[in-house]
Amino acid sequence: MSLSVQHLSFSYGPRRILEDVTFEVAPGAFCALLGPNGSGKSTLVKAIAGVHRAKSGTVTVEGRETSSLGRRELARVVGYVPQAGDAPFDLTVREAVMLGRTPHFGIAPRAEDRAKVEDAIARMGLGDPAERSMSELSGGQAQRALIARALAQDTRVLLLDEPTSALDLRYQIETLQLVRQITREEGISALIAIHDLNHAARYCDQIVVLHGGRLVADGSPAEALRVPVLRSVYEVDVEVDAREGAVEVRPRVDAAGFTRTGARLVELDEHGGIRADAVAVVPR
Amino acid sequence: MTATLQKQPAPAPAPSPEPSDPSRGRELRKSLVLAAGAVVSVIALIAAVTIGTAGVGFDDVLRSLQVSIFGGTISADFASSYAVITQLRLPRVLLAFAAGAALSVSGVLMQGLLRNPLVSPFTLGVSPAAAFGAALVITLAGTNQLPAWATIAGAMVMALAVSAIVLGIATARRMAVATLLLLGIAMTQIFEALTSALQFTANENTLQAIIRWTFGSVNDATWSDVIIVGVITVIAVPVTLLFSKDLNAIAFAGDDAARSFGVNVGPVRIGLIALSVTLAAVVVSFCGIIGFVGLVGPHIARLAIGADHRHLLPFAALSGGLLLLIADAVGRTVIAPAVVPVGIVVAFIGGPVFIYLILTRRNTLK
Repeated sequence: MSLSVQHLSFSYGPRRILEDVTFEVAPGAFCALLGPNGSGKSTLVKAIAGVHRAKSGTVTVEGRETSSLGRRELARVVGYVPQAGDAPFDLTVREAVMLGRTPHFGIAPRAEDRAKVEDAIARMGLGDPAERSMSELSGGQAQRALIARALAQDTRVLLLDEPTSALDLRYQIETLQLVRQITREEGISALIAIHDLNHAARYCDQIVVLHGGRLVADGSPAEALRVPVLRSVYEVDVEVDAREGAVEVRPRVDAAGFTRTGARLVELDEHGGIRADAVAVVPR
Repeated sequence: MTATLQKQPAPAPAPSPEPSDPSRGRELRKSLVLAAGAVVSVIALIAAVTIGTAGVGFDDVLRSLQVSIFGGTISADFASSYAVITQLRLPRVLLAFAAGAALSVSGVLMQGLLRNPLVSPFTLGVSPAAAFGAALVITLAGTNQLPAWATIAGAMVMALAVSAIVLGIATARRMAVATLLLLGIAMTQIFEALTSALQFTANENTLQAIIRWTFGSVNDATWSDVIIVGVITVIAVPVTLLFSKDLNAIAFAGDDAARSFGVNVGPVRIGLIALSVTLAAVVVSFCGIIGFVGLVGPHIARLAIGADHRHLLPFAALSGGLLLLIADAVGRTVIAPAVVPVGIVVAFIGGPVFIYLILTRRNTLK
């Protein structure tokens, strides 16, 4: 296994954020990390990236425990792509991608570092704007530059923390396809924290679902995205449709166009039907 | 332009043969800009020595330098020019340049580490603390004649103490940027109030001495001032270069991403901020409060050579040094023979320059 997380727990002071999380991602596999807001997705990604150090449990990359690695050694095997945000100063795209080489060179980049940067820029289709400044890029281009940065970092594991949340549909899909293509070509393991269930089902090989800091599902999209799991995790009445090998999740609406969420899920019987004694839906 | 997204086959990575390495050419160009800046600085330093009431020419400066470095005899008619050059003008221009360079490098560090283009070396309260330290010494001395080192020491002790307190508290709060900025504001308020309290109770002469100290100037520059400020600056710049890639990661990618690149964000931030405030404290102690160089010097450098700290740090030393050198030259000529303190002139020059930069280059100063 390329990435293996075993019994990982993490807390901020007294607050438990992650509780005994265990899963593995195979080489060349693209894994989605799902879960509602506050479920610990971001913390899990950062704990694997070494941004936070976990309380207990182990993270192993290609057989090496990351806690035994120095910060810089870890940075050579695990890359991290944050959501594209505003930087206070302006770099050119090429300089920004070079940041990914930070753990590889001493004081100044060498020819090898520059070659990796050019390669990453070419593969992300950023050749034309390479000399433009980051602030001139579109949202999609800026996110691609951050992925190029992680690609230049040349790691075996790629972690992405909601990279698509601020992008429009086209750029969301392009980003996911790029990451999938990279994992296939390089044989690296990618883990992406993401909100869109259908994008996760469509583009990822594996899905893990976090709920309250615990892992509640782990498997292929069809295995992980089950109605009872999603209903309890997201507190939304959903239906899951599997066709042509793809899984699709939709909120289930009743005749009045209403979807039960949160406390009103109790109005459903065990088969998902509306209980006879449930109050009629009155749109507020 | 679109991404290379064909499903199969995978797009060949960079099909072009790579005879030219674009980032290599860019590095070379930046090195040239840096070298040009160094040449301009040397010429400007010599030119600045020639400015003043006692007429001194370019060749006189070169001759004096030759004599003082390699030895030799000077004729009687050259003796007074030689004294003016070596005892008054040279220490003055060198101190101005070194102080400007130190403040500008200090500003680059602070802006990068706090990820904020609007902060300066004085953001953590260094200058009001130094002013209070000096004012306290001046007040305690009363009517006694004070040696110069006493006020310098008072200012420096207070400035470094405040910096240590701010960094100490911020470390307890994991060096969060907002904590540092707010602590700096609090310290500024506290020490401005303390200085005001001293001024309120001071007599005429003491009051005048306190206020005079706060006008940053290089009027009384001596060779020992030059050596102390110069040596600290010359040591600091190479040290910062060792950490420039870490500084790049923190400034451009943020704390979390910098950690994911293997940077020890906390120790790097505290170490470089300590260096930054030391530079600022030394300059303030010797020259008084010279604002704006630490804010504008870095921005001018960024426009000329880009934001990559490996080139920005040395170039900012040159841009800050030149800015203060020019400001002092203006201050000596504008109402000669009276000399306007450089701290006042630099604000008059730096302010409009800064506004011009803000209005014309929105990308760099966004």
